[in-house]
Amino acid sequence: MRSSAALALLGACVVAALVVAHPLSLALLAVVLLVLLLQTSWRRARLFLFGIAVSSFGLFLIWPLTAHVGSHPLWNGPILPVLGSLDVTREELAAGAMQTLRLATVALAFALWALRLDQDRLVRETRLARRSVLTVALATRLIPTLERDAAGFVEALRGRGVAVEGLRGRSRLLAPLVASSLERALTLAESMEARGYGRPDRARVTRARFSWRERTALAFSLLLVVSSLIWL
Amino acid sequence: MAVTVYPRPALAPGESTSARIGCIERLSFSYPGSETEALVDISLELERGEVALVLGRSGSGKSTLLRSLAGLVPHFHGGRFSGSVTVAGLDTRRTAPAALAGTVATLFQDPEDQIVFDRVASEVSFGPENLGLQPGEVARRVASSLAAVGAEHLLGRSTRDLSGGELQRVCLASALALEPQLLLLDEPTSQLDPDGAAAFLELVGALARERGMAVVLSEQRPALPLEICDRVLFLERGRLLLDAPRAQAIEWLEENAPAFVEPPEAAPAQARAPGVTICELEGIGYAYRPGTPVLENVSLELRRGEIAALAGPNGCGKTTLAKLACGLLEAQEGRALCHGRSGYLSQDPGRYVVCERAEDEVALGIAGDLPRARSWLTELGLAGSERRHPRDLSSGERERLGLAAVLATEPDLLVLDEPTRGVDPERKRELGEMLRAGAPARATLLVTHDLAFARSVADRVVSLAGQGVPADA
Repeated sequence: MRSSAALALLGACVVAALVVAHPLSLALLAVVLLVLLLQTSWRRARLFLFGIAVSSFGLFLIWPLTAHVGSHPLWNGPILPVLGSLDVTREELAAGAMQTLRLATVALAFALWALRLDQDRLVRETRLARRSVLTVALATRLIPTLERDAAGFVEALRGRGVAVEGLRGRSRLLAPLVASSLERALTLAESMEARGYGRPDRARVTRARFSWRERTALAFSLLLVVSSLIWL
Repeated sequence: MAVTVYPRPALAPGESTSARIGCIERLSFSYPGSETEALVDISLELERGEVALVLGRSGSGKSTLLRSLAGLVPHFHGGRFSGSVTVAGLDTRRTAPAALAGTVATLFQDPEDQIVFDRVASEVSFGPENLGLQPGEVARRVASSLAAVGAEHLLGRSTRDLSGGELQRVCLASALALEPQLLLLDEPTSQLDPDGAAAFLELVGALARERGMAVVLSEQRPALPLEICDRVLFLERGRLLLDAPRAQAIEWLEENAPAFVEPPEAAPAQARAPGVTICELEGIGYAYRPGTPVLENVSLELRRGEIAALAGPNGCGKTTLAKLACGLLEAQEGRALCHGRSGYLSQDPGRYVVCERAEDEVALGIAGDLPRARSWLTELGLAGSERRHPRDLSSGERERLGLAAVLATEPDLLVLDEPTRGVDPERKRELGEMLRAGAPARATLLVTHDLAFARSVADRVVSLAGQGVPADA
């Protein structure tokens, strides 16, 4: 299936994840995306899964503490400036779980975009917002690059007898990682400009007609968006 | 030092000036925020079909000169620019680099940082598509440029899975796919083994002659490019000291910059027998992916007082063996023992920029001992840079900072992975002398493609052949 059809499907999944009201519909969507993600190589998927798990868990912890809804208190916490009361209610927990599931579903769709879509083809074929598509594609490639850079920093530190352990040890790498990414981005931008990027007369890859499979995917995407808005 | 420019032969009757592809007139340039000029009053001409080799010490302005020919200086970098650069009749100050792309192509130092796409085919077609060529012509150029660099077999591969050497070829193919009249190569063989580098440079020379393309090439390992070039430019502190045909240039270099032409002297025979064994590798096997071993049944012993160099083609497992020796990797088969502390210098100096100041960077491995860190910085010629941010140092300075950070830990086993990458010949000589002077205190393992340097420093050169069997050469 061509990338634009797959992107439409993933886009529909994201819209559905953001608008569906029933937890079971959302959970089903998340499971389908997770199964698809697990069909890629574990080595590449594990970083995304780790990120999804950490961010989802963080949201689940924070949501009940910062929301102020519900009439069935489970825990009465202190009152803090700015945040107010830190009470946790059953309704807040339920809402937190729902929001966590939404976040995880959107993140799973992004992981599938990063790992399963032929982004080269998408960038070369796209006629709309090509710069934005290219930017997202390059940002996606940044994730494995950051992983490699982090491993390189850890190795160089271990090579001079400095152990990198715990949150504090790893947080030390954050600033050099960001700086390295910026340096690399500059070199890449220079190289792209030297290869003619930004010329107005750019050629586009000719696109074949959509196959029946791709047309089905587009129709299903539309159906998913509409049904999630109306029924789910 | 006086400027030496040999006059170009006068045009023969009937010969037109169309042979000229590039012209630099009184070019001076300084980067934004810099007080010193990166290029000072440079004038030269480039002709079609010629290969010009740019030599000079680290920071002498070689890369800046190449960028000025591509229009990236001043368009991309900004800064103060005076004089003029014309390429194929286009004034680079009035023509953006993207508009010059069909005329000029540039291959930058680090191939990994130039890759835009995941697939080789997409990567090579990026340039021709930007030029607005028809799909059939794009496909023709992709096929012919990959064939020209001997990389047709990589067409369907992912750029993520390529070795450094393969990436370098793909990047060259991407540049050639623009079918430029002027090809700029910034240290293109820095990641290639000697055979790969020789083949690459021969290819560049042949392409220049076949296609009538001018090539400007900067290098820190000048021996091979000096064999294929037609002309040599020598820069020092941004000034063009020499512009001469190859034969005259070699004479000039012998007299004025001998490190660039004379092979370094072979290491003296060991004055005393090596000491106790520091590192023992016995029957080592290692694979990053099951079924594709990088090393099989490799054995190596390193003793205090000796320097061993590990050589071999790209991808033969040199770095893997080095990491096993110093305990950064664990052997999957066999036995690896290191008696004492080990220190490992990564081949990427960009890995030694964790702290905000150079002295803190060095002190990191020695429990924050700043006086000792400062003395190591002085030892490596970085006195005065103690409080500078490591990222503000030049690439050569960063290389020395990394070395200081590792040497400060006073390891019993010192492992240096490609310590001469991007280092100029004079700096290499100093590094060699320093390693020899410190050799009695430790065992040293040097991983390098630079065989001349290896022979000048090491007591023995161990060749790690394709099957991972080391043999003393």
